[in-house]
Amino acid sequence: MTDRSTKSAKVAASLRRRHAAERRFRLYGMGAVAFALACLGLLFFTVVSKGYTAFQQTYVKLPIYFDAGDIDPKNSGDPKVWAKANYQGMAKKSLRGLFPDVKKRRDKRALYKLASSGAAYELRAIVRENPDLVGTTTDVWVTADDDVDMFIKGYIRGDVAENERRISNKEMAWIEALVADGRLEKRFNTTFFSAGDSREPELAGVWGAAAGSFFTLLVTLALAFPIGVAAAIYLEEFAPKNKLTQVIEININNLAAVPSIVFGLLGLAVFLNFIGMPRSAPLVGGVVLALMTLPTIIIAGRAAIKSVPPSIREAALGLGASRSQVVFHHVLPLAMPGVLTGTIIGMAQALGETAPLLMIGMVAFIVDIPGGFTDPATVLPVQIYLWADSPERAFVERTSAAIMVLLGFLIMMNLTAVWLRKKFERRW
Amino acid sequence: MMTAETKTTNEAHMDEDGGLTDDTVVSMNLPHLTFRTRNVEVFYGETQALFGIDLDIFRNQVTALIGPSGCGKSTYLRCLNRMNDTIDGCCVTGIIELDGDDVYDKALDPVHLRARVGMVFQKANPFPKSIYDNTAYGPRLHGLADSKADLDDVVEGSLTKAGLWDEVKDRLDAPGTGLSGGQQQRLCIARAIAVEPDVILMDEPCSALDPIATARIEELMDELRENYTIVIVTHSMQQAARVSQRTAFFHLGNLVESGDTEQIFTKPSDQRTQDYITGRFG
Amino acid sequence: MHKRTLMLATLAAFTFGDHAIARDQIRIVGSSTVYPFATTVAEQFGKSTGFKTPVVESTGSGGGLKLFCSGVGVEHPDITNASRRIKKSEVEKCHKNGVTSVTEIKVGYDGIVMANSKASAVMTITRKQIFLALAKDVPGPDGKLIANPNKTWRDVDANLPNVKIEVLGPPPTSGTRDAFAELALEGGCKKFPAIKAMKKKNKKSYKAVCHSIREDGAYVEAGENDVLIVRKLEANPNAFGVFGYSFLDQNSDKVQGSLIEGKKPTFENIAEGAYPVSRPLYFYVKNAHVGSVPGIKEYLAEFTADKAWGEEGYLTDKGLIPMPEAERNKFKTDAAAFNNLSM
Repeated sequence: MTDRSTKSAKVAASLRRRHAAERRFRLYGMGAVAFALACLGLLFFTVVSKGYTAFQQTYVKLPIYFDAGDIDPKNSGDPKVWAKANYQGMAKKSLRGLFPDVKKRRDKRALYKLASSGAAYELRAIVRENPDLVGTTTDVWVTADDDVDMFIKGYIRGDVAENERRISNKEMAWIEALVADGRLEKRFNTTFFSAGDSREPELAGVWGAAAGSFFTLLVTLALAFPIGVAAAIYLEEFAPKNKLTQVIEININNLAAVPSIVFGLLGLAVFLNFIGMPRSAPLVGGVVLALMTLPTIIIAGRAAIKSVPPSIREAALGLGASRSQVVFHHVLPLAMPGVLTGTIIGMAQALGETAPLLMIGMVAFIVDIPGGFTDPATVLPVQIYLWADSPERAFVERTSAAIMVLLGFLIMMNLTAVWLRKKFERRW
Repeated sequence: MMTAETKTTNEAHMDEDGGLTDDTVVSMNLPHLTFRTRNVEVFYGETQALFGIDLDIFRNQVTALIGPSGCGKSTYLRCLNRMNDTIDGCCVTGIIELDGDDVYDKALDPVHLRARVGMVFQKANPFPKSIYDNTAYGPRLHGLADSKADLDDVVEGSLTKAGLWDEVKDRLDAPGTGLSGGQQQRLCIARAIAVEPDVILMDEPCSALDPIATARIEELMDELRENYTIVIVTHSMQQAARVSQRTAFFHLGNLVESGDTEQIFTKPSDQRTQDYITGRFG
Repeated sequence: MHKRTLMLATLAAFTFGDHAIARDQIRIVGSSTVYPFATTVAEQFGKSTGFKTPVVESTGSGGGLKLFCSGVGVEHPDITNASRRIKKSEVEKCHKNGVTSVTEIKVGYDGIVMANSKASAVMTITRKQIFLALAKDVPGPDGKLIANPNKTWRDVDANLPNVKIEVLGPPPTSGTRDAFAELALEGGCKKFPAIKAMKKKNKKSYKAVCHSIREDGAYVEAGENDVLIVRKLEANPNAFGVFGYSFLDQNSDKVQGSLIEGKKPTFENIAEGAYPVSRPLYFYVKNAHVGSVPGIKEYLAEFTADKAWGEEGYLTDKGLIPMPEAERNKFKTDAAAFNNLSM
């Protein structure tokens, strides 16, 4: 009798300890998840809070006199002649007209800087599209300078002492006058999405980098996907199980761990110096990134192919299918969701890579939007890096906004991977 | 039906290998020989799985292979359509002839062989495609149908022969994996007969099914016997007794005894057979 | 499928041989200090002419000259920026690889400042004191060189604040660091007669003493990212940062430059040469490429125009200190004529 009661006491005690241990373990798990979510939340919050203001840009409304004598002195109607007119002068004149009391040379220079240096080119474009404006005085909205933009958005504070501010008291007075006149307005920043890089923050955009990323990833996909899938099929289905195959497998697994900058060095040495491909082109960038992504696709592909049950293969073989027919009719279609998921994850990784592109010249100031695979281009993460390094205050918010764009692309790609996996999931 | 008289004749007209001489076959009007296997030995690497199997399979008959687990019956079955080729390190020796053609002849493509010898597996394994595509896969693969109408006929015919047509005729596009266990196995049988094989090999086809589905398939086997030769591996002696005309008893890689089902089950010659049948080991 | 792709890729690769495709875009490499100015000119040039905007890479002065002197051809850069003058050894390398005609254009001046947060007091310091605070080895009480023992600014000189020495500066790959070492450190170091005597006897060890920066944690390499240095200075009012004048100019509401030998780092002081820690900026043009790569002449014209590098030009807005007019005109003529450089 006593044996049984001591035994059940012991069991009860150990049961309590076990429950306590399980509770602790559960708490650790929840704590880890909460910590990860908190870090993620902090990242998003920091980026979004710094970057959301970049989606708006300040514009200033100027009354521009489109002097026909200046634009088209000989009345030729030729757009090339019109393009050479002194639009900068027209903008300056307009500002002088708004503030006629400004006389000193120094002050006038400060006044002219209220409008962006790109305003002249905007006026040129407006005249080209609306030729009937020539000879008239019209109110035109042009981009304001980045210092004005920062002041309107509150990054440059007016209540600080003048020598601690980038905008002098005089400039502040002019800006406030323009605001009172309804001539300064914040609008949606379309330039951010349509322009390439620029030294002036108000004229800078991510479109050049986005196009570069697009072309680069296209090349990466076109190379890495077929080669990777073919290699995975060969290694899983056809390769004889001997030493050579083992060596190949070990090397592929190791390739996945090689630091990405090494691929950049390879690109420089082989593709640029030996073969002579054009520098800074998405073609070279794509090939380098394809080499980097290949091990990921091969490893994911092999796992997917291995997961196809042997019963399907046996059924197909039993009916008289040859080895390659079994692979292409049955195994590959069933392994495709896993292969696609691996591919998209590899692509998302490649989208965020900067180090290998450094060596092949894609970390550069490139203004023109690339039109093809051989035009010099840069990619989104590189653009973020270059802007983060620039001294102008307005680039801080644009860097965060570009990060948001990049994160948006990455999230979309990963969601596509999840959706594809769900869609093609089959039960057998 | 084998009579006692015929049995004696069998014993009297054996050739050196232990089988019947060709003249005997012709003169006695015995069923035609489909598979002739002599001294078949199978090695998995170093381990030997089958020791000197001599067995004949006759046309339009159901031959059952019985024996305790691990005795080599599935291994022997898989030799007949060269499925053992897919296993690494598996080595098959001996003579295996299908209608006089050496099955392991280098000139013979296993694909060809498998178009003549179909297989149904223990766990039903329909492809994750539609019922129509499952059945049509074989004929499409070997180019047996000339037109869509032809293919439709083949599919309908196979499904009818497999006894599945009435149940699926209005949902041929439904996935094959959506059927019940018994239906799936019948689909696999339909898939196998769609290529018009000479022989159908069945590896424990009913072991994963309930008694009703099992009965249905056993009925099917009897119907199919009219047109095809069937070799079935089964761990159920009762099933072997029900469906087969000839039975072979395997034990530890050896063919202990083979003969008419009735004779094996009522008057076995070997003590081991007797012990197995009476359930002394299993 | 992949066989065909491989074949096509190899085919495409060989069409990009050394001479097959003529480049129609100017390629510029070089100093990260000149980078903001070169990129601004490049952008203006692209917008106002029909030529494609030049591609500008920031590789550092040394790296840029290395690429520049590697040879003549479309795969080599056309122009390199430098925050120091080209060395004789680099000229020799150029000649060796076929780059025989190079035009040197001075762009303007850049000041290097030692700045701290506006929340703290402005520091007044001499180059000699900078040397004593930041060098690896300094002269000890008996005149012999010892490892730098100074922990606070007050250890260096009683007039300086009693604050731990903490200076954030560029890494060894940066031309700014080379310039800071040469102008500030060496400027102070040669004030010691013993060390100055060493210059004649053993130039190598003289350079080692005068250019080596301490590695015991008082000088922190804060990477090439000056934006980060400015942020760190805001966070730590006792720290100092070393960077170019353009960054001081853009962040004048947050940081202030120390007075070196009584001179504040202002536009005027640097332009006049009164502020002692300033250096000229250059770029070098590969004359062999003029004509085959379109637009080089026009790019030079844009850069050497007064509206760019003049006293009221747009580069001044970016923090460039312009040269006096006479000097500007000299280089403008050099650029137009593509005069070969002479050391």
